[in-house]
Amino acid sequence: MKTWFSISILLLWMLMAVVGPLLPLQPDEVDLSRKMQGPSAQALLGSDDLGRPLLHRLVYGAQTSFFVSFFVVGISVILGTFIGAVSGYFSGVIDLVITRIIDIFLAFPGILLVIALAGLLGPGIENVIIAMSCVGWVGFARLARAQTLSLVSRDHVQAAIALGSRPFTIILKHIIPLISAPLIVEATFGIAAVIIAEAGLSFLGLGVQPPSASWGSMIRDGTAYMLVSSHIVIVPGVTLMLVVLSVNLLGDRLRDWFDVRTRLKN
Amino acid sequence: MLEKYLKLLLIISIIIISSCNEGEFDGIRFGLAYAPQNLDPRFSTDASSTRLIRLMYRPLVDFDNQQMPAPALARWERLSPTHYRFVLAAAGRRFHNGMTLTAEDVKATYDSVLDRKNASPHRSSVALIESIEVSGQDTVDFKLRKADPAFPGYLVIGIIPKALIDQGHDFSASPVGSGPFRFKSGFVDGKLTLERIRDKKIFEFIHVTNANTRVLKLLKGEIDIIQNNLPYELTQYLESKKNIKVMHRNGSNFTYLSFNMRHDALKDKRVRLAIVHAIDRERIVKYMFGAKTRLAAAIFTPDHWAGDPQLKSYDYDPQKSKALLAEMGYTKANPLRLVYKTTNVPFRVRIATILQHQLKEVGIDVKLRTYEWATFYDDIKKGNFHLYSLSWVAVKSPDIFRYVYHSSSIPGSGGKNANVGANRNAFIDRLVDEYIEKAENTYDIKQRIHYYQKIHKRLIETIPVMPLWYEEHMAAMRKNIHHYQISYDGSLDSLINVTKSPK
Repeated sequence: MKTWFSISILLLWMLMAVVGPLLPLQPDEVDLSRKMQGPSAQALLGSDDLGRPLLHRLVYGAQTSFFVSFFVVGISVILGTFIGAVSGYFSGVIDLVITRIIDIFLAFPGILLVIALAGLLGPGIENVIIAMSCVGWVGFARLARAQTLSLVSRDHVQAAIALGSRPFTIILKHIIPLISAPLIVEATFGIAAVIIAEAGLSFLGLGVQPPSASWGSMIRDGTAYMLVSSHIVIVPGVTLMLVVLSVNLLGDRLRDWFDVRTRLKN
Repeated sequence: MLEKYLKLLLIISIIIISSCNEGEFDGIRFGLAYAPQNLDPRFSTDASSTRLIRLMYRPLVDFDNQQMPAPALARWERLSPTHYRFVLAAAGRRFHNGMTLTAEDVKATYDSVLDRKNASPHRSSVALIESIEVSGQDTVDFKLRKADPAFPGYLVIGIIPKALIDQGHDFSASPVGSGPFRFKSGFVDGKLTLERIRDKKIFEFIHVTNANTRVLKLLKGEIDIIQNNLPYELTQYLESKKNIKVMHRNGSNFTYLSFNMRHDALKDKRVRLAIVHAIDRERIVKYMFGAKTRLAAAIFTPDHWAGDPQLKSYDYDPQKSKALLAEMGYTKANPLRLVYKTTNVPFRVRIATILQHQLKEVGIDVKLRTYEWATFYDDIKKGNFHLYSLSWVAVKSPDIFRYVYHSSSIPGSGGKNANVGANRNAFIDRLVDEYIEKAENTYDIKQRIHYYQKIHKRLIETIPVMPLWYEEHMAAMRKNIHHYQISYDGSLDSLINVTKSPK
């Protein structure tokens, strides 16, 4: 039940992101005479502080959060896994240097680093992706390194070394396939974190630029009118919560599924 | 038995809790949207500080209802075009530390502002003073490098005691002036406490950035008065509350849209004309501002002595805009592309989005760029923009014309006023320069008004900026607050008369 709920929400999210731009929506159509109106036949979820239909903006905001999370998690997984696997496989000085770099990154609160980087790079969605990817790889690298360390001494890896396989072939063909399960689980949690971080950055004005919609910027615009038109902040807020909850529930489910012991117990 | 003990415990608890209550605060709490940055009148520039400083210090000169310079601490006479004599009045000359305000204090205050070492931001406004001479306890003479008919209007800095200046006293941390309010404590935990000298009434100025929180505190009674910096919708919300009264008043803060004249497209007047005719100011004002907000035609309101009541601004005419753009070769496939910079303050972004939408309707593609204040302002000062919107706040003296529109005031122009002017869009017009200079050189008030009106008209013709509106002032207060009035420039002067009745 939980899984189907999560999958339905996530499918709807993806559908909004992919099909949204093909629909005849007007997310940027300012109509001051309709500002802050509640749900009606013309605007099913009501309108925002500039009279723009919230439903249309929600669909376009889904696109922003979907693509940001897709790119950031994609880049972070690829970069982090590769760096972590190299660190774990080679050990010695390479491992020491990479581990220290990871430690330095982990010493700072991630979101503060992202805010600082996004501030330096300037506002814009591309810069948000760059800033989040710069920080996001660290978690994956740490996990990949730990997993690689436990695999390096396994027989199939030692056999590949004895047969003269090149290190990068061993990493790609004999190590990464075996460490992918925990990384996939980590990636699902990463998606949830990125959606929230993007919303936070857009809330601070560092994300998408107006009039483009993002759930974070919609929440930011809505907070100013919470006392008079609470639907402006409730609509994107609840949507964001549902998507993040679904991603997390799915991550939990995946973790249980990948864990053989839990599966056997069930 | 147990019940008895429980009852006893309850009674003791009630006694303890009621003894902890400090008693109801009978002073007045004022909610500030922005914290004051510097309470030293020689160095303050932000609006919050300026308004609080007026309560604690007295200047030599103030402004009347028409914004003409009027005597405050002193009356003056012009002995020659470059020589003014100020004689201190009898009232308001007791500093809060008990000392008497004398001509020596006036000299020391202005000497301190003029001293380059102190780097006062107000130095440029009084830089024409050549010397200040004291003749007696009540008389002080100002000698000028060059004649300037508007000179008395520049002496609006609060007077501080010479003895404390000599000691290097920190006036921002511990203000000592001769105004109607005495500094008690602050700025601690976002709170400044002043005492009204007349009746020893305590006034707390509490900094609450978020507009929703300020409104909630007002409704709950944690704050008694708030003024401005509220979205119009929240003002309407407060109007519907029975324990709150809301006031509105015409404002004088001039909001404008500036065009960078260095830009290839924007230096063509037809492009600027297409933009001004594409913006429906009436619609924006109707839906986004209170009823007392007025459309602007010039930097001075029509009721200002240097204003022009007959001046007409631009009509909303999108067809004309489209025709002008088509005439210049802009099409849907090849639209005019511009960048509009603004701060990341939500209300400003909201206005920018409306302007962007209106310009898009006639085929102008505007990209919005939002920045935090320091970055935004730095870009504007450097001329790094296409379009931006800002407001001139509490402008009273017509010397603003030179500061903003004279060709010698382009920042970094290398002229005499290099880097001190605010002609940030690099506007150059021979006639405007000429009218500004002529107005500066005549003592005949009618002649000066005549030239100022010519400047206004010429600015409408040449369109260096598009005048948008004069935003209204609003104040909301609890019903037990009496005698509060909103002043023309949004100052807090009427706190001198405010009273609070028991709930």
